[in-house]
Amino acid sequence: MAYTEQELKKELETKEYEYGFYTDIESDTFPIGLSEEIVIAISKKKNEPKWMTDWRVEAYRVWEKMKEPEWANVRYQKPDFQAISYYSAPKKADPNKKLEDVDPELLEMYKKLGISIDEQKKLQNVAVDIVVDSVSVATTFKKTLAEKGIIFMPISEAIQEYPELVRKYMGTVVPTTDNFYAALNSAVFTDGSFCYIPKGVRCPMELSTYFRINQAGTGQFERTLVVADEGSYVSYLEGCTAPSRDENQLHAAVVELIAMDDAEIKYSTVQNWFPGNKEGKGGVYNFVTKRAICEKNAKVSWTQVETGSAVTWKYPSCILKGDNSIGEFYSIAVTNNYQQADTGTKMIHLGKNTRSTIISKGISAGKSQNSYRGLVQVSSRADNARNFSQCDSLLMGNECGAHTFPYIEAKNKSAMIEHEATTSKIGEDQIFYCNQRGIDTEKAIALIVNGFSKEVLNKLPMEFAVEAQKLLEISLEGSVG
Amino acid sequence: MLKIKDLHASVEGKGILKGINLEVGAGEVHAIMGPNGSGKSTLASVIAGNETYEVTAGDIFLDGESIEDFSPEERAHNGVFLSFQYPVEIPGVSVTNFMKTAINESRKAKGIEDMPAKDMLKLIREKSELLEIDRKFLSRSLNEGFSGGEKKRNEIFQMAMLEPKLAILDETDSGLDIDALRIVANGVNKLKSKDNAVVVITHYQRLLEYIVPDFVHVLYNGKIVKSGTKELAMELEEKGYDWIKQEAAV
Amino acid sequence: MDLKDKLVSSFLAFENNIDVHNPVHDVRTEAIKNFETKGFPSKKMEAWKYTSLNSLQKIDFSIFPKKESSLEYKDVKKYFIHQIDTYKIVFIDGVFSSNLSETTHDGVDICLMSSALTKPMYKAVVDVYFNKVASKEESLTTLNTAFSREGAYIYIPKNKVPKKPIEIIHFSTGNDAALMLQPRNLVIAEENSEMQIIERHQSLTSNAVLTNSVTEIFAAKNAIVDYYKVQNDNDSASLIDNTYVDQKDGSHVKVHTFSFGGKLLRNNLNFYQNGERIDSTMKGITIIGEKQHVDHHTLVHHIEPNCESHQDYKGIFAENSTGVFNGKIIVDKIAQKTNAFQQNNNILISDKATINTKPQLEIFADDVKCSHGCTIGQLDEEALFYLQSRGIPKKEARALLMYAFANNVLESVRIPELKVRINKLIANKLGVNLGFDL
Repeated sequence: MAYTEQELKKELETKEYEYGFYTDIESDTFPIGLSEEIVIAISKKKNEPKWMTDWRVEAYRVWEKMKEPEWANVRYQKPDFQAISYYSAPKKADPNKKLEDVDPELLEMYKKLGISIDEQKKLQNVAVDIVVDSVSVATTFKKTLAEKGIIFMPISEAIQEYPELVRKYMGTVVPTTDNFYAALNSAVFTDGSFCYIPKGVRCPMELSTYFRINQAGTGQFERTLVVADEGSYVSYLEGCTAPSRDENQLHAAVVELIAMDDAEIKYSTVQNWFPGNKEGKGGVYNFVTKRAICEKNAKVSWTQVETGSAVTWKYPSCILKGDNSIGEFYSIAVTNNYQQADTGTKMIHLGKNTRSTIISKGISAGKSQNSYRGLVQVSSRADNARNFSQCDSLLMGNECGAHTFPYIEAKNKSAMIEHEATTSKIGEDQIFYCNQRGIDTEKAIALIVNGFSKEVLNKLPMEFAVEAQKLLEISLEGSVG
Repeated sequence: MLKIKDLHASVEGKGILKGINLEVGAGEVHAIMGPNGSGKSTLASVIAGNETYEVTAGDIFLDGESIEDFSPEERAHNGVFLSFQYPVEIPGVSVTNFMKTAINESRKAKGIEDMPAKDMLKLIREKSELLEIDRKFLSRSLNEGFSGGEKKRNEIFQMAMLEPKLAILDETDSGLDIDALRIVANGVNKLKSKDNAVVVITHYQRLLEYIVPDFVHVLYNGKIVKSGTKELAMELEEKGYDWIKQEAAV
Repeated sequence: MDLKDKLVSSFLAFENNIDVHNPVHDVRTEAIKNFETKGFPSKKMEAWKYTSLNSLQKIDFSIFPKKESSLEYKDVKKYFIHQIDTYKIVFIDGVFSSNLSETTHDGVDICLMSSALTKPMYKAVVDVYFNKVASKEESLTTLNTAFSREGAYIYIPKNKVPKKPIEIIHFSTGNDAALMLQPRNLVIAEENSEMQIIERHQSLTSNAVLTNSVTEIFAAKNAIVDYYKVQNDNDSASLIDNTYVDQKDGSHVKVHTFSFGGKLLRNNLNFYQNGERIDSTMKGITIIGEKQHVDHHTLVHHIEPNCESHQDYKGIFAENSTGVFNGKIIVDKIAQKTNAFQQNNNILISDKATINTKPQLEIFADDVKCSHGCTIGQLDEEALFYLQSRGIPKKEARALLMYAFANNVLESVRIPELKVRINKLIANKLGVNLGFDL
């Protein structure tokens, strides 16, 4: 049959979001709406201990009294929190399953995501925890890790198996009262990952979580808690995708990192939630609270590549509590079409000789708005604190915007803070130069954007860097005529 | 190989090229000289397909085929190379990476597979030796923080890598000290063959002592007003351009 | 009664003393309504995050001076740039002082706002310019608009250049235990004209003073305006200075702000570039100590293509002082080829001092060059050691380095006598005699 012009166009449009497929898996979904009963029901469904239920209820009561924040530089239709289903689990998931028992349709989905578990296991030495619609469905490599005493499992399991550990640390970095979305998450989170690295252990492989929103009309509220005990090291990767849908989906996660004395956590994110279509319809609202606490000599680095989501509101932060602790933030945020991103970091210097580095690269195209918002705070006790910040924006086309809102607050005379920001565009002369060497415009833009983002891409683990690079290209396709 | 017929071009409505006729055969070296503002760089840009300039009349043929409707990259794929007077900086993109992309894009256009990494490495080694380029230099961001001489040498290195049919060197001598000039000229001479052609655009005769032209053309006010052999270049060096202007005014 | 209520109810008393039938009064009435709705800004507002007006609002300020005062020139001479001849517009407790002033109508108008607002001959100009660039939303600006009656009025017609610089000085005598002043200036530079203005607020006693000033500057095509603000008041005096600049094609406006004294200083400096090839320059030096608080809020709105803006603010903060810098640059979609630069460098020389800085870019055009940089740091210890090893005592060496740090802001001051004066103020503020003329 002949391919009509229409069909061709349609196929081209859908190609834009590569991960925009929907897997038909039977789900166990709660009725929509949120109330104290629903919160208790979630807790019950997960067979949680009483302290956990109480904790959720308390968070719910706090949330009820809070207002959605409005200070960010983003405009969107406020989600109707009563129109979301707060629990959706692929029905066939069973907490005691083995990898072989996993729903073949699910496995097919992972293949589409490019993360065939077997392959991961064999080739990449990456342990993966996969969260689909809020429920963790597979954790690989558990045994290998257990030998080292490393705990890496869905947080729901951790609550059952290691209640003291979870109870001790959960909410200590991001309290339930922290902000509107954090409170909401605390009340309704259904799953996420928990990771504990014992004293002096260097985690032998990258730990990785893939998040995916599959079911329509659901929100994803996962919770990640990483505890690196004294002198330990872990590198943690997080990837996110969602199918293309017309309505907006809500993702409100909380990530808490605890780096104890001399510990190091490297947390990398490649976020590729569905950004909405060309007209700005649909897409994920990504309202995420990520924070780390660094004790003495500890180091946390956040690396993120943000290409997806219709609206992003996200500020991975470091509280540099211990002396000599180090915080790093490396970010690439790409916005195209009607996407809006308000993202950045907070570096709170409390300890002496604390250091932080912020490298933020914003790329705006189409009709999108891209904001960097950051805070560097040096308290009066933080002698010899050092910060270097660099925020660069690249604009493509004349209908997008780039904004920077860096807040710098210093209360100590020995602080040294440097902040630089630039805004520029891809020069016609740069494109012509590439063209002349036989590189077409699309490829030239990809090349220039990659060059612009290099400082951040270099910080990603190898296998992620390649994916991120590819994502940057896909995200900006067709952004310059 | 290259044939330019009655070429007129303008920028923002202002005519710059006013009827250029030029034929360059395979194996030939042509020099285009002329005072500042005569249209030399415009001619180079128009041949390479820079869309800043509007071609208002005339045509350009490469091996008998009009390239008027070709995009800059298509022209490049067909063997046109322009050594820029002011090479552009691309931060974060290394020379090696840039070359790899350029070569593979050209191969893709011709339906050839990507060059194997081993061959690429060999080619880079070979050509960088030819241009006496330090290997460290190849990992630096393209043209960023390069000295004037490094930029020009890098242009010729790229030319060596891409092996064009027609190379246009736009003021490649400007900003070069005598040693760099010799290296660049040597590179060009080694790349010259009976199958390719070189067009050297320059204000001075200096470069032509090293790259000896078969023909010299004088461009003035958007037209070629005089053509001759290399002796013409010497004459220009001695007398300056004023006599050309006077002659043209008559 | 809190200050807001007092101000709102005083408006009735104010109306008894002015011509309420003048159309300008409609503007005032609108303005007081806005202020009544909004009141004083609070720290909850983004623009006031780091500056609190709470303690000021607790003071029982007189809204109108109780009696008229006069001063002798010899007693206040030191506050003028007396080494050179200048036009002078002088106010004592908000009331024009004719014996200290030197106004003119000789080809240019350098005179009083009260005349401009009431006399028919100025009506045409006032109708076009008064309250046209000043914000109708910002509450303190509208508060000033509501009480606008007196201030400097400067009108320089096409192609004219006044013979000498213009000084505007506001004295407060301390006859009232606490006095609130609301001067209103209107500065109009017509096509291709040029002028230099020095403005200063000076309290003569330690009684509390709060000045809420609004200045509107209009620079027509190719006009040049240099405006110098000298802020070195007593530590009982607070100033909220709201300046709005409207620029047309090819105009150059420079505003220098030297903040050395005062209890609380808040500068709201707003530039609107309504034309092409405009150049806007904002520079500032802040050197404060004790519990002083200086807040610079700048806004440059690039509305048209091919314009430039330059900002350079340096701050040195000692003791318990607090500095704030918030520089906002907005580049509209059509404002292509904009070049906007902003620098803010700070030195903290005490553990109790605080600096909050927020350079902010909002860019909607793609073909622009915008950058901002800000640093917080200390004096270079190595440089200090170098100077000491050459025999310069530590204190002087520190002062010299601090002077060097602030110095490039002074380079663009075009009145040599003012430059000398500022240099002396800096040396004084740094507590040293540098032993040479800077």
